[in-house]
Amino acid sequence: MTLTNKVKLLAALFSLIVISSQFASAIPAFSRQYQTSCATCHSNFPKLNDFGKAFKDAGFKFPEGDETFLKLPPVLLGAPAQKEQWPHTIWPGTIPNMPPIGLRMNNFFQVTGRRRNDYNTNLQPAGTPPGTVGGFPFIPRTDFSTGLFSIFTAGNFGSDIAFWVDDDISVGGQNAAGGLGDAYLKFHNIGRFLRMPKDSLALRVGRFELDLPFSQARSHNISPYDIYSEANIGAMNALVPLQQNVNNSFSFAGAANGLEFSGGHQYGGYHYSLAIVNQNTSGSAQGDNTSLFVPSPTGGAGGGIGFASDSNFKDLYGRLSYRFNLERDSASRNAIQAAGPTGPQDHTSLNLGSFYFYGKSVQRFAGTLAGGPAVVSAHEPFYRLGGDFNFNHRALNVYGLYMVGHDRNLLPIDSAGALIVLPLTPGALPAGFLSSRSATFSGGFVQADYRVLPWVVGIMRWDSVKSSADRINGLAVAENTPFAVPFRATRNRFTPGVQFLVHANIKASFEYQIRPEQTTTIFVDPATGLLVSSSPFRTNTATAGLEFVY
Amino acid sequence: MKLFGIAVIVLAGACTMAQAGTISGKVAGDSGKAVVYVEKTAGKTSPASDKHATMDQKGLRFVPHVLAIEQGTTVEFKNSDTVAHNAFWPSISGNKKLGHNLGTWPQGQSKTFKFDNPGAAALLCNVHPEMSAYVVVSPTPYFAATDASGNYKIENVPDGKYTVTAWHEGSKNQSKPVTVGGDSKIDF
Repeated sequence: MTLTNKVKLLAALFSLIVISSQFASAIPAFSRQYQTSCATCHSNFPKLNDFGKAFKDAGFKFPEGDETFLKLPPVLLGAPAQKEQWPHTIWPGTIPNMPPIGLRMNNFFQVTGRRRNDYNTNLQPAGTPPGTVGGFPFIPRTDFSTGLFSIFTAGNFGSDIAFWVDDDISVGGQNAAGGLGDAYLKFHNIGRFLRMPKDSLALRVGRFELDLPFSQARSHNISPYDIYSEANIGAMNALVPLQQNVNNSFSFAGAANGLEFSGGHQYGGYHYSLAIVNQNTSGSAQGDNTSLFVPSPTGGAGGGIGFASDSNFKDLYGRLSYRFNLERDSASRNAIQAAGPTGPQDHTSLNLGSFYFYGKSVQRFAGTLAGGPAVVSAHEPFYRLGGDFNFNHRALNVYGLYMVGHDRNLLPIDSAGALIVLPLTPGALPAGFLSSRSATFSGGFVQADYRVLPWVVGIMRWDSVKSSADRINGLAVAENTPFAVPFRATRNRFTPGVQFLVHANIKASFEYQIRPEQTTTIFVDPATGLLVSSSPFRTNTATAGLEFVY
Repeated sequence: MKLFGIAVIVLAGACTMAQAGTISGKVAGDSGKAVVYVEKTAGKTSPASDKHATMDQKGLRFVPHVLAIEQGTTVEFKNSDTVAHNAFWPSISGNKKLGHNLGTWPQGQSKTFKFDNPGAAALLCNVHPEMSAYVVVSPTPYFAATDASGNYKIENVPDGKYTVTAWHEGSKNQSKPVTVGGDSKIDF
């Protein structure tokens, strides 16, 4: 495609987006209750501004005098005076006047590089065209696709109890199953029972995204942060001199079930989160985790909703951050929003934080021992450790994080103490495990958002993930995502983009994902016996997204 | 002498009644409040206004939504909200040179501004784009806002020939000539 044609294509696409957008006009969930614009809480939805962070910290309500802003008064579930009757009555609460429901829909259009099918071709037997062997898809030059259609509801029940539920009704195309996102109750300000300072202790229970430095579930980007999706799969290739028995599917991309204590504010000062969550490092779906003999929650034998966890151990997550608001005037510095020449604005600030996740990945081997059927387990402790920063100055927001992943590697040994080559023969059980070279990865991202106009945001992002195990395994061989895993230990991605708020609730986004230093043409190095690759190969993609909430 | 004084007062009152009339009518069409005012007439002057009016910000709304004042009136802009606002108007009747930014002030405090130019100022908030209100500045003391049905009544207008203008949110101003001599009726 010539440059002229590319320009024409982009112009046509943009026109299509703008024209089609004009037919949509809507109000998101909280906007209905307060009859205010999305811009009150979002700078570029779903990215929150400082007031939006304070609104969330307060339990999805205005930090002060919430009742004066509600245009639809909540329904009383008991007169406030009923509190005097407690415990001889139910503690009175409220529910929102109208169910605060919001919907979010997005569509995408992608243009993919010319050599887009080379990777697949090189993984298939010679002479077979792409799309015919092994389920490797044919990658089209251009593609229209639907993203998600999600429903979400959030608000509070009075008494500092907030709720949130979001569910992807449809993801990944027609007839695909959706999935529950977050679903929790959050009890704000419970520290008052312990005479702790206001907002210093809250309890969240249910299913939620971990308190990550930068949300993936509610990201304003089209493409996810690569490091969040990184699972740690050890070097399983039998050609590797020292294999790794690590098969940990945990990543920060998914939601977790459990409970969380948190406190502080996101718009200034300290903030912390301590979470105890289910472990499920095997990646088995909850619906498949059922027993014929033991009922799971809500079910009888063999039924119910299944077990979400695959181990007794509960994982731990902690995050601590501190945000320095940098205004000289103390009143402005300590306010929810800083004073600006044209009204309140996000603070000029520097936020520094760190996070730590600790869990135990369980490798189970079923087989037969002298006493009969048995299961031998290897419990492999793992951690994810990282630091992050977030700097904001007027229209410029620069932020990023760096993290490392570390999984202990327990290799199976036989009764003589010799290492057993993986994978194990079905039915054969190891006599024990030997600690060996850990499986590690590292990486992160740095992103800059610049608000050119209140409705135009320019974006530049750099993602990097380093994992030698990924390269050795050639992970893309086993997955239908040839563009996700290049054949190198370190994969980088530069992603310039621009986003337009067509309306406060309609956004057109463009990303150009540049993946340098990828290679293909895979062969076995006769000297080392390892898979190696050559021939530079770029799977650059241009993606346009159009989404709206109402 | 006392009788003479009473006679003068009665006569003056009678003269005043004879020289002042009423303009009334209805502004039809768009819903919402409209403002009808008498335009300035060459050769006729009215004393400068020293009146005061109030515009509040409450519950993420300007209250009232339409404030009709006479030219020269000082408006007190209040903030009854627990959140900050930034009140400004980009122009007055399209004249961007008359735009003004009042800035931001905390709850319980207020700012004042004297409107010396006639026209309509569209009041906005930089932080809450849904907030809007209008300050309609009448060039004469003869103006009135419509009621819920669109009816208006301007009283004590001296007899004479005038141009009456109706302002309505989202509509172009409509002007009509009127001769006041007692009660006059004019609809828009």
